[in-house]
Amino acid sequence: MIRYVLRRLALAVLTVWLASLGIFLAVHALPGDVATQILGRDATPQAVAAMRTELGLNEPLWQRYGDWLSGALHGDFGTSLVTHQPVADELTLRLRNTLLIAALAIVLGIVLALVCGVVAGLTRDRWPDMLISTLSLAGMSMPEFVIATLLALAFAVAIPIFPAVVTAGPDATVAELLPALWLPACALSVVMAAYIIRMLRTSVIDTMASEFVATARLRGLAPARVVLRHALPSALLPTVNVVAMNIAWLLGGVVVVESVFNYPGLGVLTVDAVHNRDLPVLQAIALLGAATYALLNLAADVVAMLLNPRLRRRAVA
Amino acid sequence: MMTLSGAGRRRWGAVAGVLTGSRSTLIGFVLVGAHLVLALAAPVLAPYSPIVNNGALPIDAPSLAHWAGTDQLGRDVLSRTLYGGRLALTDTALATIGVIIVGTAVGCLAAYWRGWFDEVVMRIVDAVLSVPTILALLVVVTVAGSGTWVLMLAVTTVYAPAVARVVRAAALEVIPLDYVTAARARGERAFAVLSREVLPNILDVVLVETAMRASWVVLLISSLSFLGFGADPPSPDWGLMVAENRSMLAVAPWASLAPIIALATLVIGLNLAADGLAKSLGVDRMRGGVA
Amino acid sequence: MTSISGGGISRRTLLGAGGAAALALGLGACSSGNSAGSFSSGAASGPARKGGVLRIARPPASSGELLDPASSLSAYEYLGALYNRLVRRGASGETVADLATQWEPNADATQWTFRLRQGVTFHNGKPFTSADAAYTIKHILDPDTASPQAGVLSIVDPASITTPDDHTLVVGLKTPHAEFPTLLTHYNCYVIPDGSAASIGRTGIGTGPFALKSFTPAAQGEVTANPDYFGGRPTLDGIVFSAIADVQARVNALLAKQVDVLAQTPLDHANAKAVQAGADATVTEIENAQINVLPMLTTAAPFTDVRVRQAFKLAYDPASVLTVAAQNYGTVAHDNPVVPDDPYYADYAVESDPDKARWLLKQAGAENLRLDLYTSNYQSGFTPLALAFKASVARAGITLDIKNAPSDSYYTKVWMKRPLCVSYWYTGRGIDQLLNEYFGSGSSYNETAWKDSTMDNMLGAVRREVDEAKRKQLYQDAQKYVVDNSGLLVPFFGSRLTGLSKQVVNYAEDGFEFDYQNIGLKA
Repeated sequence: MIRYVLRRLALAVLTVWLASLGIFLAVHALPGDVATQILGRDATPQAVAAMRTELGLNEPLWQRYGDWLSGALHGDFGTSLVTHQPVADELTLRLRNTLLIAALAIVLGIVLALVCGVVAGLTRDRWPDMLISTLSLAGMSMPEFVIATLLALAFAVAIPIFPAVVTAGPDATVAELLPALWLPACALSVVMAAYIIRMLRTSVIDTMASEFVATARLRGLAPARVVLRHALPSALLPTVNVVAMNIAWLLGGVVVVESVFNYPGLGVLTVDAVHNRDLPVLQAIALLGAATYALLNLAADVVAMLLNPRLRRRAVA
Repeated sequence: MMTLSGAGRRRWGAVAGVLTGSRSTLIGFVLVGAHLVLALAAPVLAPYSPIVNNGALPIDAPSLAHWAGTDQLGRDVLSRTLYGGRLALTDTALATIGVIIVGTAVGCLAAYWRGWFDEVVMRIVDAVLSVPTILALLVVVTVAGSGTWVLMLAVTTVYAPAVARVVRAAALEVIPLDYVTAARARGERAFAVLSREVLPNILDVVLVETAMRASWVVLLISSLSFLGFGADPPSPDWGLMVAENRSMLAVAPWASLAPIIALATLVIGLNLAADGLAKSLGVDRMRGGVA
Repeated sequence: MTSISGGGISRRTLLGAGGAAALALGLGACSSGNSAGSFSSGAASGPARKGGVLRIARPPASSGELLDPASSLSAYEYLGALYNRLVRRGASGETVADLATQWEPNADATQWTFRLRQGVTFHNGKPFTSADAAYTIKHILDPDTASPQAGVLSIVDPASITTPDDHTLVVGLKTPHAEFPTLLTHYNCYVIPDGSAASIGRTGIGTGPFALKSFTPAAQGEVTANPDYFGGRPTLDGIVFSAIADVQARVNALLAKQVDVLAQTPLDHANAKAVQAGADATVTEIENAQINVLPMLTTAAPFTDVRVRQAFKLAYDPASVLTVAAQNYGTVAHDNPVVPDDPYYADYAVESDPDKARWLLKQAGAENLRLDLYTSNYQSGFTPLALAFKASVARAGITLDIKNAPSDSYYTKVWMKRPLCVSYWYTGRGIDQLLNEYFGSGSSYNETAWKDSTMDNMLGAVRREVDEAKRKQLYQDAQKYVVDNSGLLVPFFGSRLTGLSKQVVNYAEDGFEFDYQNIGLKA
C-alpha cells in the first residue's frame, strides 16, 4: 500500500515536470515575443532588441529552462516579465481569489446537487424527477458564457442585488470581494451540480433497489432514515471522483465566467499571461494546475482504494 | 472476419430495444436527427442569405419577413442560425472523429504493446490532462492561428488523452482473452489483431465515448468561437453569433436567443443519445468526469 | 503673477482670426449625417454639487502600464487629471495656453520661446520652473523612454533647449517649423518634474487638478482634488479608476451603477442601445471623433501599384459602408483623414466608381482580386466595418476574406504587417501632427509604409512657410495628393458613443482630452 502510494507520488512528480516542460516549449513556439508585447504598438526595433537582452531572451532555450527549474525547486518562481513583481506574490493573491469562488461554488453546487439528486432519485420518473432531470440537462447543455451573462443581466442589471463586476483589483480584501462572489459562484455551481445530480440520481436509484435497503425497509425503518443512513452514503461514493475532478476544473481557471464578471482570478491571469507571453507566470500556473490535478487524482484513487479492498489487492499485486 | 464474444452479441441485440424503449433516448435521437435534417435543408429553408448585410434594417424585432429578427448588420437571424447548424455539425463531426481516432489508436497501442511505450504514452497523457484546459487551448490556438483545422487540432489535443485512457482500460480487459492471445500466437500483426479482435469488442466503449465527447465538442467549439479563437466573421457560427449579439441581450434578445436555443437543443440531444447508448450497452458513462 | 482664466483665450501669436472663422463655418456645414441622432443629447450640463467622487471604468493598457505620459504604455485616462502640458488644444482645435502663457518663434521659425506660468507647484510642493519643462522634452526624446512622440519631435535639437530664467524656455529646431507648438499638444507631452524619469511611472507627480492617491497597474487607482490647482479647485473631490478588460463587463458595471463613466470605450450601436435602455445610464455622442481606416500596405503586393490603391478607393461606396457599419453615426470621409472642421480641410473627393475600379485593376493585372482583410475584437466597431467594406467592394469584383486576429497581438502581428486590415485613429490632433504622423516617411506611425518623396517635400515646405494663406494652400494640396496616391482608405469619421450615468454633469471630451476640472455629479 505505502509502496503503491510512493510510486504514484513519483509518477505525479514526473507528470508535473512533463507538463512544465511541455508548456515551456509550447510558449516558445508562440508567435510574437514578450518584448514586443511589453513595448506595445509603437516600439522601435532598437527598443525591442534592448528589452530582449534585458529579459534574457537571447540566452539558449535549455539554459533558460534550467535556470527556471532550479529556481522553482528552491521555491523561487521568478518575476513577471510584464509587471516586474514576484510571480509567487501575484499567484498567491489570484489563487486566494479563485479559491474563494471555487469554495463557494463547490458548497453551493454540492448542496444543490445533494438535494436535487436525492429528490430526483427517490421520485424516479414522477414530476419532481422529470423537472430536476430536465433542468440539470439544460444546465449541462448551456455554455458557461450564456449562464454567466444571463445571471449578470438578471441579478445585477435588472434586479440589482449583486454587483455586476469586481471594480477592485486582485489585492482587494476578502470583505470587498464577498458580495461579488455569488454570481460567478452560482454560474459555476450550475454546471458542476448538473453533472453531480445526474450521477447521484442513478446512484440513489441503484441503492434503493439494492438488497440491504430492502432489508432495512423490511425491518420497518422510516423511509427518511433509510435514505439518510443507508442509501446516501453508498450513493455518494461514486461522486467523490467527480467532485475531485471538479475542483481541478475550477482551479484550472474558469476564464469565461471570470471575464464576464471582471473577477481577478487565475483564469483571467492565464489569458493575460498567454497574451503577454509572460513565461514565468505561465510556468507557475501550469505547475500549480498540474500539481493540483495530480494530487487530487491520487487522493481520489487512495480514497477509493481504502473503501474497496478488491482494488487494494490489485494495486499491491 | 469479426469475432464477437457471446456476451457481446447478446448486448448488441438488446441495443435496439433500449434505444426505442426509453422515451428520453428517443427524444435525444429525434433532436439530433432534426438538427441533421435542418442543416441539410438549410439552403432550401433559409429565407435569406446568411451573410448579406442590410443597412436599412439593423436590429429589427421578429416579424413576418424576419421570423427571428435581424442583427446589428441587418442580417436575417433565422437564416444565419440554419446555416450555422451546418457548420456546427460538420465541425463537431470532424473534431469528434479526430478525437476518437487519435484517442482509440493511442489507447489500443498502449494496451497492446505495454512496456515502455505504454509508460511513456500514459505519462504524456497524464501531463496533457494535468495542464489547465484553457491554458492548453490558448497555447495551441495562439501557436497555430485560427481556422477549422486549428480548431480540430486544439480539440483533439484537449480531449484525445482522456479517450486514450478510457480505451486503454477497456482494451486491457480484452487483450488477455484467449482469442486475442491465439491471434497473437498465430503471428498476426498488431494492426490486424487490434482491428479484428480487440476493436470490435471495445466498440461499445468507443461508441459511448463518441456520443459523449460530441456533446462536449459542441460546447468547446462554441466557447472558442465566443472567445474569438474560432470561426471568422461573417461565418454564422453559433458561438460567434452569441458573442456578436450578447451585448444587446436586454434590448434585442432574439439575435442571441436563436443560436443559444439551437446550441442547447443539439447538446441536449447528444447527451440524451449518449445516455441511451451507455445504458443499452452497459457502459458507465460518467467515468470521465467533467471536462 | 499673470493669471490666466480657464484657457478659452487663444494665446497663439501667429494664427489670426481667420482660422477661428473658418472653423465656425466648418462646424456648421459638416455636422454629422446620421439619421437617427437619438444619442446626441445624452450628457447633461448644469449645476454640479460641490465634491463627490466619480467612478470611471477603463480598459487596462497592459499589465505593465505606467503613469509616465511619454511612454507608449501610459495609463492614458489618468494623465489629464494629474498633469498639464505647456500648451493644449482648445475646444475648437486651436492651440491654447496651459503651463505656457505665451509663445513666439524667431524670424525663420527655427527657435521658439515659451513664457511659463508663475506660482505653479507640483503635487509634492516643489515649484514648477523652466527646468521641468526642458526636462520633459528631453525625456520624450531620450531613446530609453522609447516614446512614440520622439519621431514627431525629432526636429527638436536637445542640445539647444535652454532656460534663460526660471520662467522662460527656449527650444531650438533643426529645421524651421511655423506651427511647432501644435506638436506639444499631444498627450505624450504632459510636463513632469525635473529628473523624475525613473519614478514618474508610479508616482504620477504633476501640476494637474488632481493628485495621485494610489495606483496599481491594470487594477484600481484613485486621485484626489488638488486644492492649490492654478486653474482653481476642481468640482469633484476625487476620481476612482477601475480597470475592466471586457467591454461587456464594463457596460454591465455602468448598468449596475457600479461606475459612472466608461472611458476609452467607443460603444458600437448594439452596446449603445443596451446602455440607453438602462434606467440610470445614457449615451453621449461626440461627432467625428474617430477616423476609421483600412491601411493598404504600400510595400506589399498588390498595393505596391498605385492603380490598385486607387481602384480600392473607387470600388467601395462610403455611404453604404457608413450605413451598414455604423448605422449612419458618422460622416463620409472620402479617403481624406483630415476632419471637415479642421481649418485647413480640403473639400476634395473622388466619387465612387466601381467600373473605373475594375478597369484600373485590369490595367494593373489584378482582375478578380482575392485578398485577406484582417480584423479583431480590439474595438467593437472593427468587424462591422470589415464586413461592410467586404460587401461594398464586391461590386468591383474584389473578394475579401475576413480574418479575425486575436486583439492582444493585433497591433504587433497584423497592423503594418498584413497588406490590408482595419484600424482607427482618434481625431483631435493638429493637421501638421496628423499628416507627418500618418504619411511622413520617418514616422513610426506611418501605417501604410508609404515612403514618397513628393509627400515629404510637401510636408517640409509647409513647415517652412510662414504666410498663412500659402500654408493653407499647401496643406490642401497635400490632402489632395493623399487622396489620389496614398494607401490609406478612410471610409468615414465615426461618432464616439460614450456611456455614462445620468448623475454625471458637464462631461466634455475632445479627441484625447477630458475636462476633469468641471465634470461633476448632479446637484
